Amino acid sequence: MSVGHVSRAFESTGIPTVIVMSNVFRGRVTVMKPARTVFTQHIMGRPVGAPWDAERQTHVLREALKMLEQATEPQTSIVLPERYRVAGR
Amino acid sequence: MPGESFSEYINSLSYGSRTDLLFKWLKNAGEESAEQFIQELLAELGEVVDTGDLSTLFNMIYEGQLAAYSPPGEETRWQYDDAPFAKLSKPLSEMRVGLLTSSGHHVLGEPHAPPELNDYTQEEATEHIGEYGRAKPFLSAVPTDAPQEKLGVHQPGYDIRAALKDRNTVMPIDRMNELETEGVIGEFAQTAYSFIGLTSQIRLTKEDAPAWAERVRDEGWEAAVLVPV
Repeated sequence: MSVGHVSRAFESTGIPTVIVMSNVFRGRVTVMKPARTVFTQHIMGRPVGAPWDAERQTHVLREALKMLEQATEPQTSIVLPERYRVAGR
Repeated sequence: MPGESFSEYINSLSYGSRTDLLFKWLKNAGEESAEQFIQELLAELGEVVDTGDLSTLFNMIYEGQLAAYSPPGEETRWQYDDAPFAKLSKPLSEMRVGLLTSSGHHVLGEPHAPPELNDYTQEEATEHIGEYGRAKPFLSAVPTDAPQEKLGVHQPGYDIRAALKDRNTVMPIDRMNELETEGVIGEFAQTAYSFIGLTSQIRLTKEDAPAWAERVRDEGWEAAVLVPV
């Protein structure tokens, strides 16, 4: 919820945002109508990826930046298909 | 404990005598779902000792958290009719992009919470969880050239073990620096920000979030990646 509020304030100030978050909280955030959201199917506390899994972390951020650049309307969102994994697996 | 009910047991995982922030959702899940989860967890562990394949365990935790935190039809307080949306003014490769998280990262030795909460250890913070929900939001500045060992994490709302091992799990400073080097973004803003997401939502909405937006706009942020935990 907190970052949903921050996102709304940033967007209202003219700063485009993309939220990167675990899909487990999607219900609480979707109703806040955020501009752009990338949901990951990751365990709480590891939204970008597992410790030292740089490959997954970079992938998630690339998807987020792609959405930031390409979204043309509010409430654009995607659930990334990759499931949580540990580094090197 | 002698005479303790199963309900009391799962409640104790959520800011009780057995606080476990990775599994506190079992309280939300309710007795029946929690009992089923534990039963299936034990069964799966029995498989893991032979196969070594942890993916099913990870999926069980994820699915359990999803069901507990985003149940169908849940009514939440913070619902809006409007959907503010700012358009990009130019390609990201020409923009200064900032990073803000609610992970509670901060530079070690610097204030990182309202004064009345600042000296709590992570364990003490979970014992005083109610105070955080009433507290004024506090924004920590984190230089994006600061090494991981200079940063701490203070956040009683989630399991911080992964964040302590590798900040990029929730505050991907290293990954954003790499994307800047690669030219995907024009510039990664020199100062990233983090706050304790478990805070007064009314104060955040009315005062702090708008002030933070003006602050980062003055610092030249042209777009932002936001990561909640």
